[in-house]
Amino acid sequence: MVTNESSTSAGTTGNSSGSSSSSSATKPSTDIDGLLAGAGYKVKSSELCQVAQQLERLETVMVNSPADISQIASDTVHYNPSDLASWVDSLLSEFNQPPLSLQSDIQHFPDIIAGTAGIPTVQNYNYLTEQSLCQQQQQLTVVTAMEEDSGIRLVHMLMTSAELVQRGELALAGSLFEDMKGLLTRVNTGCGIGKVVGYFIDALSRRILGVGGSICGSAYENEILYHHFYEACPYLKFAHFTANQAILEAFDGHDCVHVVDFNLMHGLQWPALIQALALRPGGPPLLRLTGIGPPSPDGRDSLREIGLRLAELARSVNIRFAFRGVAASRLEDVKPWMLQVSPKEALAVNSIMQLHKLLGSDSARNSPMEMVLGWIRNLNPKIMTVVEQETNHNQPEFLDRFTTALHYYSTMFDSLEGCSLQPEKALAEIYIQREIVNVVCYEGSARVERHEPLAKWRSRLRGAGFRPLHLGSNAFRQASMLLTLFSAEGYSVEENDGSLTLGWHSRPLIAASAWQALPLSDLHVINHHTNDINNIL
Amino acid sequence: MSGLILSKSLVVYADLTYFESYLEAHSVCAFFLSCMCILYPTISRCYRVVPLNTWVLISNFKLAYNLLRRPDGTFNRDLAEFLDRKVLANTIPVDGVFSFDHVDRATGLLNRVYQPAPQNETQWGIVELEKPLSTTEIVPVIIFFHGGSFTHSSANSAIYDTFCRRLVSVCKAAVVSVNYRRSPECRYPCAYDDGWAALKWVKSRTWLQSGKDSKVYVYLAGDSSGGNIAHHVAVRAAEAEIEVLGNILLHPMFGGEKRTESESRLDGKYFVTIQDRNWYWRAFLPEGEDRDHPACNPFGPRGKSLEGLKFPKSLVVVAGLDLIQDWQLAYVDGLKNAGFDVQLLFLKEATIGFYFLPNNDHFYCLMEEMKKFVNPNC
Repeated sequence: MVTNESSTSAGTTGNSSGSSSSSSATKPSTDIDGLLAGAGYKVKSSELCQVAQQLERLETVMVNSPADISQIASDTVHYNPSDLASWVDSLLSEFNQPPLSLQSDIQHFPDIIAGTAGIPTVQNYNYLTEQSLCQQQQQLTVVTAMEEDSGIRLVHMLMTSAELVQRGELALAGSLFEDMKGLLTRVNTGCGIGKVVGYFIDALSRRILGVGGSICGSAYENEILYHHFYEACPYLKFAHFTANQAILEAFDGHDCVHVVDFNLMHGLQWPALIQALALRPGGPPLLRLTGIGPPSPDGRDSLREIGLRLAELARSVNIRFAFRGVAASRLEDVKPWMLQVSPKEALAVNSIMQLHKLLGSDSARNSPMEMVLGWIRNLNPKIMTVVEQETNHNQPEFLDRFTTALHYYSTMFDSLEGCSLQPEKALAEIYIQREIVNVVCYEGSARVERHEPLAKWRSRLRGAGFRPLHLGSNAFRQASMLLTLFSAEGYSVEENDGSLTLGWHSRPLIAASAWQALPLSDLHVINHHTNDINNIL
Repeated sequence: MSGLILSKSLVVYADLTYFESYLEAHSVCAFFLSCMCILYPTISRCYRVVPLNTWVLISNFKLAYNLLRRPDGTFNRDLAEFLDRKVLANTIPVDGVFSFDHVDRATGLLNRVYQPAPQNETQWGIVELEKPLSTTEIVPVIIFFHGGSFTHSSANSAIYDTFCRRLVSVCKAAVVSVNYRRSPECRYPCAYDDGWAALKWVKSRTWLQSGKDSKVYVYLAGDSSGGNIAHHVAVRAAEAEIEVLGNILLHPMFGGEKRTESESRLDGKYFVTIQDRNWYWRAFLPEGEDRDHPACNPFGPRGKSLEGLKFPKSLVVVAGLDLIQDWQLAYVDGLKNAGFDVQLLFLKEATIGFYFLPNNDHFYCLMEEMKKFVNPNC
């Protein structure tokens, strides 16, 4: 028996509104047609007639279009298909315009040849105005059915053990370990549920025995593991390429641009952006990159080393480039003045799996999250790209976290099965294992892996004065291409209300979204701790 | 910087113009096409025949699908997946039904399982993978194949997730929705193979057993291409002597080389055109084949005889405004002539896709008939 208890109870989009919009007195009066909502479309009942007319017009236009409509459709960037009215309108304007002139040497997907420049496409796109979204908590429910009895019993025991840990009965929990280890010998721990359960048994035993601390590695080790995780599966590549696409679009038309990367690592994300900026029509901008990372011990300045290599790359493609490294062990230690943002430049703030680390503080006042989001907002970035793990590992109850993590990492390990690269796969697993240990063993400020789902990030960022920028079908297309290049069958990209998620089969594992600061005039409606901000700036 | 990183990152920014255009005219009512001329002056007339929200839904599909199908037979899969509205499974019951996904490791095939909610609320959120559905009563398991003309939609598409949930409530059954491989990437017989694999998987799950003799009581069901798949899987099951208790075919997708009267009369009138039907068959059937291939035309000139097989009883639902109804009626005749039990539900004024939204009489009529059909006491 597998338990999957969740702390939220709302249904998913497709199922909460099975009845028509007029029937329920308790429904919010948003006037959305309930039946269409069940099919995944948000259309106001009062606008149904209008949308119908637009659809009719669109059909006429399509039928009469002299061009190949499938070509026009694939060149158009589509946004948020749930908003049917806007989608139909955007198509109507696409078809009424003369087709966009495409780059001349259109290639089919080329072989990978080092040094050959592909032609990036920077397309015109239409911003959609933000629509009001109801906050929805979604259940994450992929259950990997276990074929063997031993596997089932093992999970059962693991869950029992975790429950005992939650109740504080550590000795009793510990007593189950002998039996679990015995069962482990009868299960294939080389792959599948056996492997994941093995890691969770390990993590749980560390918590019980209090030896969690020993798994933490040096910054250097972490970089190596990160790099192998990058190679073994597409999650980080998806994050980088999706963010880069959005940043590229945001920088369109600007001559001075500045990217602030919250976690530089080996700067793996940036060569692609540098290349794309070099090749953009109209010529490259002046690019500044500020990379934040932990201070290196033993006198090495690893940030500077990465910066030098990126500068060399920039020079080779004739981009004026400047790099600055900011060494900080925690994101909350970074002060905006360290970034030296100039008002004349277009700023992009890039956070790949960093924001959740700010959730670990115990203090209710001066929360690091509010502080950091506050100064980001005040820097008025053209875009902020946020990629986070799509799961809830920050639930207050240990058992809920444990169960959610078991399901999440099972899916992630499942996806790694298809990888044949060694030692990338083995080291990627260790990278993931460290995350598991942090989620399961640690508490308080030491537990930094406080992943929260997209829905929560959306409301948090909205409350902090940001509005979403929608990621469109071009980013989706790029992500899908990425998957065919690098990965096993089973990965799937999905569009979710303007954000993109990458997952394994039907379970999203990582979510990418883009944001922009609301104009200052709208700021007064948002409840901010202005004192904190004044103290910082 | 290493050349490897450079080249990998460059590749993604190369211009991507290779797309597959698929447009799934998945049971889209050509009704709307004919209504188009009438719509401008009098929307109300259209509304009388099909509710406005249904019209909007199916028109949207039709137009989107037109954009995805390319004239050269390729399909814009990326855009199709971007546009398709999907929903997650949910182990917490909503309106009495919960769901979860299962991926068969051996084949990579995804099935979404739907079950009635446990009576006891403390059991909510728990997926039972050991005990049977019931040890006293019979709980049927309906294996459902979603429509999409073999090309569009998935088991986790919102419209099909909603439909399967309704199936559970109405028939008091468990439902397993199969995410079969689609064309043109995977042609005949992939979808049938996946259906067969799903049937074997369902039959071998102890937790789908019910009744006093602990067996899995299976029905096959599907709409449009899903109906076609259900038929072919039932044939294979009968040949292998695996028991299927009944087939439910919701305006199943069949065809043939010759042009029938209903095709000519209804072409382009109710969302569907002969041209798009041809496109989807060309995309599904092996290259070079025509529509008299037995997959498309099981009782046609190249059809295989089902004599001697223990073929299950069938409920075939035909929409009176569906242009391929002549083929569906010929299918019903084919079953009758072979001596099999077949029940025809002909809904004269129904358009395709009438069962997506519960806002018309045909929908409720269908639900009643399905409930009676999936009767565990028979």
